[in-house]
Amino acid sequence: MHIRYLSLTNFRNYARLELALPERTLLLHGANAQGKTSLLEAVYLLATGASPLTSTERQLIRWEAEAEGLPYARVWAEVVRRDQAQELEIILEKKPLANGSSRFQKSIRINRARKRRADLAGHLNVVLFTPQDVELVSGSPSVRRRYLDGTLCQVDGEYCRAVGLYAEALRQRNAALRHLRDEGGDQSQLLPFEETLARTGVLIADRRRGLVATLSQKAAEIHRRLTGALEWLRLEYRPNFDPAAPPARERYQMGLGLPPYTGPPPEVGDDGLVEAFRAALQARRPDEILRGMTLTGPHRDEMRFIAGSPAQGTHEVDLGTFGSRGQQRTAVLSLKLAELAWMQEHTGEKPVLLLDEVLAELDASRRRYLLAQVEAAEQALLTATDLEMFSPEFRQRATLWEVRGGVILT
Amino acid sequence: MQTIPAPVAQLIETLAELPGVGRKTAARLTFFLLRDKSDLAARLATALQELRERTRFCSVCYNITEDDPCPICADPSRDHATICVVEEPLDVIALEQAEVYKGVYHVLHGVLSPSEGMFVENLRIGELLARVRKGGVREVILATNPTGEGDWTAAYLVTQLRPLDVRVTRLGRGLPVGGDLEYADVVTLTRAMEGREEV
Ligand SMILES: [Zn+2]
Repeated sequence: MHIRYLSLTNFRNYARLELALPERTLLLHGANAQGKTSLLEAVYLLATGASPLTSTERQLIRWEAEAEGLPYARVWAEVVRRDQAQELEIILEKKPLANGSSRFQKSIRINRARKRRADLAGHLNVVLFTPQDVELVSGSPSVRRRYLDGTLCQVDGEYCRAVGLYAEALRQRNAALRHLRDEGGDQSQLLPFEETLARTGVLIADRRRGLVATLSQKAAEIHRRLTGALEWLRLEYRPNFDPAAPPARERYQMGLGLPPYTGPPPEVGDDGLVEAFRAALQARRPDEILRGMTLTGPHRDEMRFIAGSPAQGTHEVDLGTFGSRGQQRTAVLSLKLAELAWMQEHTGEKPVLLLDEVLAELDASRRRYLLAQVEAAEQALLTATDLEMFSPEFRQRATLWEVRGGVILT
Repeated sequence: MQTIPAPVAQLIETLAELPGVGRKTAARLTFFLLRDKSDLAARLATALQELRERTRFCSVCYNITEDDPCPICADPSRDHATICVVEEPLDVIALEQAEVYKGVYHVLHGVLSPSEGMFVENLRIGELLARVRKGGVREVILATNPTGEGDWTAAYLVTQLRPLDVRVTRLGRGLPVGGDLEYADVVTLTRAMEGREEV
């Protein structure tokens, strides 16, 4: 698939941008802070319905637009998929409230019809490479959960709906827990939210487990190639709630050296899992009322990067804690390339590649490997401050545009 | 702001407390009333006063009414063994205008939404359960909106009604997801009412 046309209004530092995008490789170059990254961010937003950055989405609205009293941003694209053109549109708005504050609103349209975030799944698939990716290994667990959600939401509408519903039920249950702590009251009002948490939580954990298992397999292969077989890599999914496994906390205390987690025994079944989850939520109520928050469930899931080297036998390390910066970067590149392979296999189509200033971080051989993937893509958007990173042949085959102060010079 | 006489400022401030009315709109309305030469301001004042003085909640269904019990609850030709549970008085109006329902109502006055400070204690749920426990009720139709909160409210009511000897059904099929009963057309409401399912 590829994006044929992209239109931005009041998005980040773009007041207005209208771009007919070429297929194959597009190299956007220019000094820092000119708006190269914002372009990739806009495309990612259309693919997943959320910004890849953890910062608040309110900041996507161009600052001057707000000062001018028009606090909204619009991203619109025409995407070609299996020779069919589709229009995707996201509008971000700050609606003023009577009390002087504002309510943030995101509306999504597909072919001009109002849709939900989950409906975006399957319309535009992207794989994003950024220098911040290393935080997937070194950062907090929330970065990894956000990554799993963003990846799955692109292809799995059911997952995306479940994640949205789960988050809303969690917010409601937490508010109810605080109310019960402060004011007392009827605990049975937690039941409807617990039911939603249990049903969607089991689905979320199941899809995450499946994704991590596949990514782990593919990443292991790629990692061996990237390191010349000097290092191996394994990804581990560690669900916070799993009736068949010891609680996550205990597993951490036991340390590594356990066989990789493969999921609950199949004989439990989905209904059994939902029942167990529901029971776990009810059992922890007294504790959770005291704390005013829900402590059990996939909103506390973890994914870890485990590596070792054949030279060191069975010794293995958790790269998040003990990996060098270089090891972490290689691991995350393996993960991202695995994601690319997975997405292509899963959807039967080539996703659009978005690469934000990633080459500077890589040595020559890894750079070559990555650029070979880029050139195999139907469409790839790259940003770079330094064109010298790319070989003259690569530059010749690519389309080169300069970005300067929110303007694109084609 | 000192140049504005206190009564003017006071009306602006008061109107601005209404949902959906900003300070700008409040000021515009205030100055409109100030310049108006008809008896609009007087009629508005009377209407506002009577709004509270001449209305009350029906002690049976908690709909807004002038007389207690309300005309619907007092009507012997209606089916008093069937109770339709709705979020707001406006939902009753929508269903009555559609003429799709001959039973009686129960108005919750909101939905379960702890994150917005709405707990079961704030809704007329205890009153509904007491009504059912008193007997003579065959069916309770849950007609909260098909939104997240409406669904959770219905789910909560199911947990409370299930132990009681009553048929519980949910309106919904045919209503647009995330939609509002209040804005549904007659055809949609009829289909939703006729297609209600046991939960
Ligand atoms: Zn009544």
